[in-house]
Amino acid sequence: MTKITISNRNNSAFEVTGKKPLLNELRDQGVDLPYGCQYGGCITCAAKLINGEVDQRSQVALNNRQINDGYIILCVAKAKTDCTIEIGVESHDKLYRNPFLDPLEPHELKPDIASKKKEKK
Amino acid sequence: MDGCCGPGYASPAEAIKAPKEKLLYTIAIYTGTGIQKPDYLATVDVDPQSPTYSKVIHRLEMPGIGDELHHMGWNACSSCHGDSKMSRKYLLVPGVRSNNIYVVDTASDPRAPKIHKVVDGSEIKKKTNLSGPHTVHCLGSEIIISFLGDARGEAPGGYLHLNKDFEIVGRWENSMGDIPFSYDFWYQPRHNVMVSSEWAAPNTFMPGFDLEEVGHLKYGRRLHVWDFKKKEPVQTMYLGEDGLIPLEVKFMHNPDSSHGFCGAALSANVIHFWKSKDGKWEWEKIIDVENEPHPDWPIPVPGVMSAILVSMDDKYLYINNWLHGDMRQYDISDPHKPKLTGQVWMGGLLGKAPEVNGVKIAGGPQMYQLSLDGKRMYVTTSLFSTWDNQFYPEIRKQGGAMIMIDCDVENGGMKINKDFIVDFGKEPNGPSRCHESRYPGGDCTSDIWL
Repeated sequence: MTKITISNRNNSAFEVTGKKPLLNELRDQGVDLPYGCQYGGCITCAAKLINGEVDQRSQVALNNRQINDGYIILCVAKAKTDCTIEIGVESHDKLYRNPFLDPLEPHELKPDIASKKKEKK
Repeated sequence: MDGCCGPGYASPAEAIKAPKEKLLYTIAIYTGTGIQKPDYLATVDVDPQSPTYSKVIHRLEMPGIGDELHHMGWNACSSCHGDSKMSRKYLLVPGVRSNNIYVVDTASDPRAPKIHKVVDGSEIKKKTNLSGPHTVHCLGSEIIISFLGDARGEAPGGYLHLNKDFEIVGRWENSMGDIPFSYDFWYQPRHNVMVSSEWAAPNTFMPGFDLEEVGHLKYGRRLHVWDFKKKEPVQTMYLGEDGLIPLEVKFMHNPDSSHGFCGAALSANVIHFWKSKDGKWEWEKIIDVENEPHPDWPIPVPGVMSAILVSMDDKYLYINNWLHGDMRQYDISDPHKPKLTGQVWMGGLLGKAPEVNGVKIAGGPQMYQLSLDGKRMYVTTSLFSTWDNQFYPEIRKQGGAMIMIDCDVENGGMKINKDFIVDFGKEPNGPSRCHESRYPGGDCTSDIWL
């Protein structure tokens, strides 16, 4: 079992198995969470991982910038370690951006089309 | 309507003479807004004689959260006019994200519709490998719904076929040919043709809009001509840069006409297509909305023409520019040479009309529905939850709005009606966002004649 702490719900903590997606594990314990497609494609359930590690290899909604900003897709992400997360739209401050005002760098696109990141000196 | 027949009207000319609409239905979403409530179908009172005129008088909540209701369509339209066993009773309301299709009974009590049946999203995936439902059309007593992806959200999707009892028949099409993406479609039976357009895979557009993905060919730029009886595509019209993200497709209502239109959202162009004398389909760009400068933007703002609509008399074409904030009316008596005859502003990024009838507008003109007589147009302001959140983040707190435009059908012209506005920012459960609308008696985006 691993422990999930929700930082923007008074640091309330929940024990999860890591065998099911966090959306299911947390909703089963009464946490009210947004969701949509339930297969990792639509971003509605996005949350921010403050610390810890999840397996979200099957998500297809996030681009690399969102991943680097710590976003995880709860309907597919499974906990690998104890995690602290921030949930709901309060965690979405960096999730949405105007694509014309704030374009992505080639390495920040979705993983299937992103180019390799140039190393900064 | 004469009592001997089925739903709808014998012809577009008969439809124009129908009684004025008194109610309309619009979907309203909480998905993606941060409010943990189901999306709902709102009944809006549009009868000026009623004490509750311009108000939401009923809210039909969906059974769960997270659907993202978007477009909808009737179980029957004028294509069933000759079938007295059919009636326009059920509104089919798909959830783009959940894949569920809600069949709503609007006839038992038109003011307070209720859910008749739910076609379960996971069953649709299992039986047809489709997800991301969009446009609903009926064809005679059968129903077809375009889906933008397979069960994993990958393009091109396909078409779900439901029978008149809303049971899954299977896939409608016999082949998708080499179509890369799906979105909207409209058919014109006398020419045995269907034309479909291209948005993107659900996995591409649902999380939001990354402009760079257009360059990576993740968004559409083609129209597809189908042999409607054979249920397979027969010709592709490659629109290129003129047709980036071609969304809504509308044929003329006159069933003999082969002329139709598509709004290319990102290019902000109207594409006109028609069948030439030798039977080939041709296209041309007839309207090109210039990008507009903005003080805070490094590049000019594109219009984002997300919807188009043809009046029932086929005289006027209406377009929107969601990011600019204007609605336009064009006289298309000569479909090759449209003439701009009307324009109004509401919301938008250019600051031309931040407030309408005392309500601050978040978003811009987006979906609209026109009365059968062509005189009253109802416009809503939200596009899609994730795209709203990118371009108009204030819509979270302000919600959407429904505005009415008086359209001059004699001389052309548009004017915002001063007595009508529905502020979805003041909904009981918090700000929601309204999108597509339909009238119980039929409207300008439902009916097709055989």
